[in-house]
Amino acid sequence: MEEHSQKDEFKRDILIYFCIIALVGVIIFISHLHLGTGGIFLIIPIACLEAGILGYYFMHLMTKKRTVHLLLLLTVIVFVTLLFWPAWDVAYSPRTPSEFTTY
Amino acid sequence: MSETEEFIPYIVKPREDTGLYNAKFGIWLFLASEVMLFGSLFSAYILLRVGSFTWPVQSEIQNVAIGAINSVVLLSSSIFFIRAWVALKADDIAKYKRFMYLVILFAFIFLFLKGVEYYQHFSHHEYPKTSVFLAIYFLMTGLHALHIIGGILVNSYYAGPGLYLRDKPNGKQWFINRVEVAGLYWHFVDLVWIFLFSTLYLL
Repeated sequence: MEEHSQKDEFKRDILIYFCIIALVGVIIFISHLHLGTGGIFLIIPIACLEAGILGYYFMHLMTKKRTVHLLLLLTVIVFVTLLFWPAWDVAYSPRTPSEFTTY
Repeated sequence: MSETEEFIPYIVKPREDTGLYNAKFGIWLFLASEVMLFGSLFSAYILLRVGSFTWPVQSEIQNVAIGAINSVVLLSSSIFFIRAWVALKADDIAKYKRFMYLVILFAFIFLFLKGVEYYQHFSHHEYPKTSVFLAIYFLMTGLHALHIIGGILVNSYYAGPGLYLRDKPNGKQWFINRVEVAGLYWHFVDLVWIFLFSTLYLL
């Protein structure tokens, strides 16, 4: 029974492996479409999905205790906060040389 | 036994409060700090790119083919690590060593391909000082490569001389836990590469 369960796990791992590789192929294809800014909103979520699948199955996040989930959630919150902290400043920064104010 | 050892004993079974054994909790704390390290570099990349007037078309500078192959190489090494850990739990040491050697081999393949990429950049006079994009590219991929080297050292130890740890009292479960912890680190390095490839090669 244990051997059967090990074989099932092995099949699952191989399936996950090819799934992630397929997603890598998808984002390479999207990048070749040269969608510009739109491409970012496709590629990054797919990359997050790949990372999520890897973390969920290979790093066993699906079986982890609340401790790890809370720790990771806290890390993500802190990181996203720090990432968007200067966004206000960046939003008002000049985009072209002509937007610079000269005195 | 010292006071510290009584308060934080070295255990192989999960603790009741965290649900994890101490080493696993420790590695997750370490990985959280690594998220902040790489996260700060990714945010620097975002801010530099958003704040700049011009930005090169990355896919024209980068060798996307080698990047894609490297993605497959690292993913394969992750699968091999999982198989090594399963073999270790089943007490099949020969199989465990075989898979660990494959992990190490694929890590070297990754570093070799990275070296080829760097050589291609240098032969086109593309250095970190050439542009902001190349500076952040070399910094992030260089730091990632250092993490790969660190992983190679740890994995080589556990695949070779470190096996003596199994002979210690409670050694078998202890060693399985150590390899699991090393595996978590290795999968994290793979995870970081997924984001590196997406942002530095494809955007």
